[in-house]
Amino acid sequence: MKSLEEVLETWEAVIGLEIHSELTTLNTKMFCGCKLEFGAAPNTHTCPVCLGLPGALPVPNKAAIESIVLAGLATNCDIEKHSMFYRKNYMYPDMAKNFQTTQGPIAFCMRGHLDLDVDGPAAKERYRLDSLEPGESSGNIVRTEDGYRAHVGITRIHMEEDAGKMVHIGGGEGRIAGAKESLVDYNRAGTPLIELVTEPDLRTPEEARLFMQKLRQIYLAIGISDCSMEEGSLRCDGNVSLRRRGSAQFGTKTELKNMNSFKNLHDGLAYEICRQAQVLEEGGVIYQETRHWDPSAKRTIVMRVKETADDYRLFPEPDLAPYDLSDEFIERVRAKLPELPDQKAARYSASFGLSAYDARHLVDHRATADFFDECMALVAAEKDGSKFAKPLANLIINDVTSYLNAHPEVALTDTPLTASRAVGLVRLQSDGAISSKQSKQVFAAIMEEDKDPDIIVEEKGMKQVSDAGAIEAVVDEVLAANPEKVAQFRDGKTGLMGFFVGQCMKAMRGQGNPKVINDLLSQKLS
Amino acid sequence: MTAFGSMGIAQIKAGLAAKEFSASEVAAQTFENIARADEQVHAFLETTEALAQDAAARIDRAIAEGRFGDMGVLAGVPVAFKDNMNLTGTHTTCSSRMLENYVSPYTATCVEKCLQAGALPIGKLNMDEFAFGSSTETSAFGPTRNPWDLERVPGGSSGGSAAAVAAGMVCATLGSDTGGSIRQPGSFCGIVAVKPTYGVVSRYGVVAFGSSLDQVGPFTRSVEDAAFVLNALAGRDPLDCTSQVCDVDFTANLAEGVCGMRIGVVPAFMEAQGLTSEVREKVEDAIAQLKALGAEIVEVDLPHARAAMSAYYVLGPCEAFSNLARFDSVRYGYCDPDHADLGSQYEASRAIGFGAEAKRRIMLGSYLLSSGVYDKYYYPAQQVRTLITQDYTQAYERVDCILTPVSPRTAFKFGEIGDPTEMYLSDMFTISINIAGNGGMSFPVGLGRETGLPVGVQLISPAFKDANMLRVAAALETVYGKAPVAPAFAEEKGAE
Amino acid sequence: MTEHVSQADVRAIAEYARIGLTAEEVVSMTADLNAIIDSLAPITEYDLEGVPPTFHPIGDLSNVMREDKVRGSFTQEVALSNAPKQEDGSFLIPSILGEGGDR
Repeated sequence: MKSLEEVLETWEAVIGLEIHSELTTLNTKMFCGCKLEFGAAPNTHTCPVCLGLPGALPVPNKAAIESIVLAGLATNCDIEKHSMFYRKNYMYPDMAKNFQTTQGPIAFCMRGHLDLDVDGPAAKERYRLDSLEPGESSGNIVRTEDGYRAHVGITRIHMEEDAGKMVHIGGGEGRIAGAKESLVDYNRAGTPLIELVTEPDLRTPEEARLFMQKLRQIYLAIGISDCSMEEGSLRCDGNVSLRRRGSAQFGTKTELKNMNSFKNLHDGLAYEICRQAQVLEEGGVIYQETRHWDPSAKRTIVMRVKETADDYRLFPEPDLAPYDLSDEFIERVRAKLPELPDQKAARYSASFGLSAYDARHLVDHRATADFFDECMALVAAEKDGSKFAKPLANLIINDVTSYLNAHPEVALTDTPLTASRAVGLVRLQSDGAISSKQSKQVFAAIMEEDKDPDIIVEEKGMKQVSDAGAIEAVVDEVLAANPEKVAQFRDGKTGLMGFFVGQCMKAMRGQGNPKVINDLLSQKLS
Repeated sequence: MTAFGSMGIAQIKAGLAAKEFSASEVAAQTFENIARADEQVHAFLETTEALAQDAAARIDRAIAEGRFGDMGVLAGVPVAFKDNMNLTGTHTTCSSRMLENYVSPYTATCVEKCLQAGALPIGKLNMDEFAFGSSTETSAFGPTRNPWDLERVPGGSSGGSAAAVAAGMVCATLGSDTGGSIRQPGSFCGIVAVKPTYGVVSRYGVVAFGSSLDQVGPFTRSVEDAAFVLNALAGRDPLDCTSQVCDVDFTANLAEGVCGMRIGVVPAFMEAQGLTSEVREKVEDAIAQLKALGAEIVEVDLPHARAAMSAYYVLGPCEAFSNLARFDSVRYGYCDPDHADLGSQYEASRAIGFGAEAKRRIMLGSYLLSSGVYDKYYYPAQQVRTLITQDYTQAYERVDCILTPVSPRTAFKFGEIGDPTEMYLSDMFTISINIAGNGGMSFPVGLGRETGLPVGVQLISPAFKDANMLRVAAALETVYGKAPVAPAFAEEKGAE
Repeated sequence: MTEHVSQADVRAIAEYARIGLTAEEVVSMTADLNAIIDSLAPITEYDLEGVPPTFHPIGDLSNVMREDKVRGSFTQEVALSNAPKQEDGSFLIPSILGEGGDR
């Protein structure tokens, strides 16, 4: 099979996503008062409504409606005041009523979009990006300095309910295939679920991954879901088709399931694009089918061929009154909208002069952005407090992020690094008290010993010497001790500068301020 | 022995208050009477002696402690429920093999409200399977017989609810009405039968047939008793989104008479094909009586009512198809044994669990909702609903209540109507009210000249003005008298 | 009588509705459904252009919701009390391979 890069030379991939998110931060289910709780004993969070008992009737959870409106506002959607619930009828054992209560042609949220900033290696998947000048646009993208910005349309976000869970027994690894029997647990049945459907605006697996990441950041920021791909509270299906470069007509699409991590989303789509290209190049036909990404085998497998379009006998749910949302309701929800990641990043650039790259990486995670905000608040009163922004951003993006990556079970707020210690650390460096190399050692010591940075510097005797008089004495000593090298330097062997600096540092047991040493050496050797 | 079933609610409560008898005696003798009468009628599928005795004990304690007045509008009154109403610990079968062994783990709001009002729960009543029918012949557990003529059907689908009251087994029962399932058996059995406006009574816990059409209401032998039961039932239920606030005392204006009221009659209904002359005569007689009582009779037109039957046989089956999908052999209900895969278990369980009429309606609904067909029937049916509703709205600008026949004929014999489409015609006068959602009731105006069987007239109220029809019915009651217990079951020893 | 549905249609509808029908039942069901569908003709005979549908006969009632408050749930025993088959606190069903649905 060809590589993705090769395939995308000839073929354009057209990708749309369907992203389901459980509203895990609510107390109760969508249509009944059963508690939302992951991992409870089977069928202990059930009632007549979510078990689909004869005679039971649904009553919608107001907080769920508020959550989906919040999601719509955060993703630039129009909020539809008039909408209804519908019944989507098909029989499946994890769905207690044998219809799913969902929305019809009009969802609460319609016609939204998100803009993706794609840069670094991620931008390389985009076909012939280099042919564009910064600021120049093509289709839904605009070339930026270090990549491009893609405008991705959101068709709709609708409200629905999750199904129960099944465990298949008798087959391999809990799969349906080969299973003799299945166990059904309805604890999850009726969990409020919102489904976001994108326009087919995505062109590369990286864009799909970035869209999903960005959406996750937004959902976390507005607090509607814990967005755990592992526990299934955030799930993504992809629709993929190929068309030859230059063709306007869409090809037959396949639907891809089981992409339960960002990596799987990328790799599954990349594989499926390459697979389709191979089939098409060999003169084959793509069937409209549902395929399952198997990350261990690194391939997609057919789950179901859709010979005809599914006919779900959709009709308006007679048990639920229609919606006629008031302006007041929508404005009350809008008032709950926090600063969103994009807005936060823009503020970091505007207020603190951070680069777009730094700002974006800070807001990648709510925890790091919150931590940065907390740090900046501590120095806000200082005259030029914003000078700490860049070193703090560096500390967070590099040291803190790699620490958290190495300790995935630890939350930033649970580490010994408090905002005041972080500020203390960067202050020591900006005052010239410690070198950048020492700064890394102090950071490590904070995390290990749970002490304040100045105490660590004190205890370890790390205080950097910046006093020019003291350093000058050392510099003079070193130069006097190496007359030959001084002569060579003056003859043009300027690479010896490193040797002199090293000798000075050695003499000062590493505590000399390298900038002062450098300056003095340059002075004396010129 | 005192036949409490042939008494009215006020009479029972007066006797309890005066300590002429105890609630426990009421319960015990009610069951004795049922044991005797129901051998012939087969109205009950289950009797609930223990639940009734518990409730009676509470009432008796209250009487002893002088708190009887606080015990509710139905305190000490035996009440039985159509078998599509859940009551914890009882079977709720909907007269279907599908639910033969189903035991309710929860209680319907309408049942709960009766219990809260002090009613003694007597049992569960036979019906057409899942309320699909007009004769109670489709019950998987055998038909109910009409107490007026045991060779004839009691009507349906709430046939058991009507027959139990007509035979004097209890003075009040609950039924449900999707297209006429309260009013038509009420007419066939010669009793008062009320389908309130959609939204007056909670549907929570009542096994759904047509969710936008179903409504719960009482069967009694007097208008006052119906009003008492409605007082217990009506009101907003947080568990039913379609229920509405209803702060009405339904007994308040029963004695006001009809002088000055404008009563609508629909000429097209009186000339409808299939309307028997004996029914027409009784309806005309009732009109004449109302006129004599001082009501103004006004002709009104319901031009779209002729499409109501078609709209009903679209909307009802579509909703039923979806509502009955949950009977799948997984969580409850009939499960055909020994299937290796779920698909064949589904198909066998539903093939055996559902009767022929249920299958027909499910199949019809599934067809009508399929893509392409939806736009031809379902959507137009919902538009026709708008037109039918507008017809009523316009008519009610000129009248306070409309009077029509309930059923084109009196009770028919078992097996007399075999063709489903012909059976559907017995609801021709009742269906448009479910489509529009307003209230309708059957009031017995005596026996037909030819068959000697009860005939009811239908009174139809504007939405949420159910008190209007009760007031007209109460006026008619001053002429025709309270509904009698069917002669064969009337108490020789006479409690009345 | 118009043939709105054929026997093949009836078999397909039955499959979708998950009701096993015998060959004789298919024949009688086809006849019954065609007769009933014939009787639906009146609703196709109006000019309904511009007439809004009434999906909910509840007047102006809208936005009916409940607060996000926990209400009691069944115990596992009650939840399973009507289960035809159960195991380990769950409902037990035979193999679902071949079931379609949206999964």
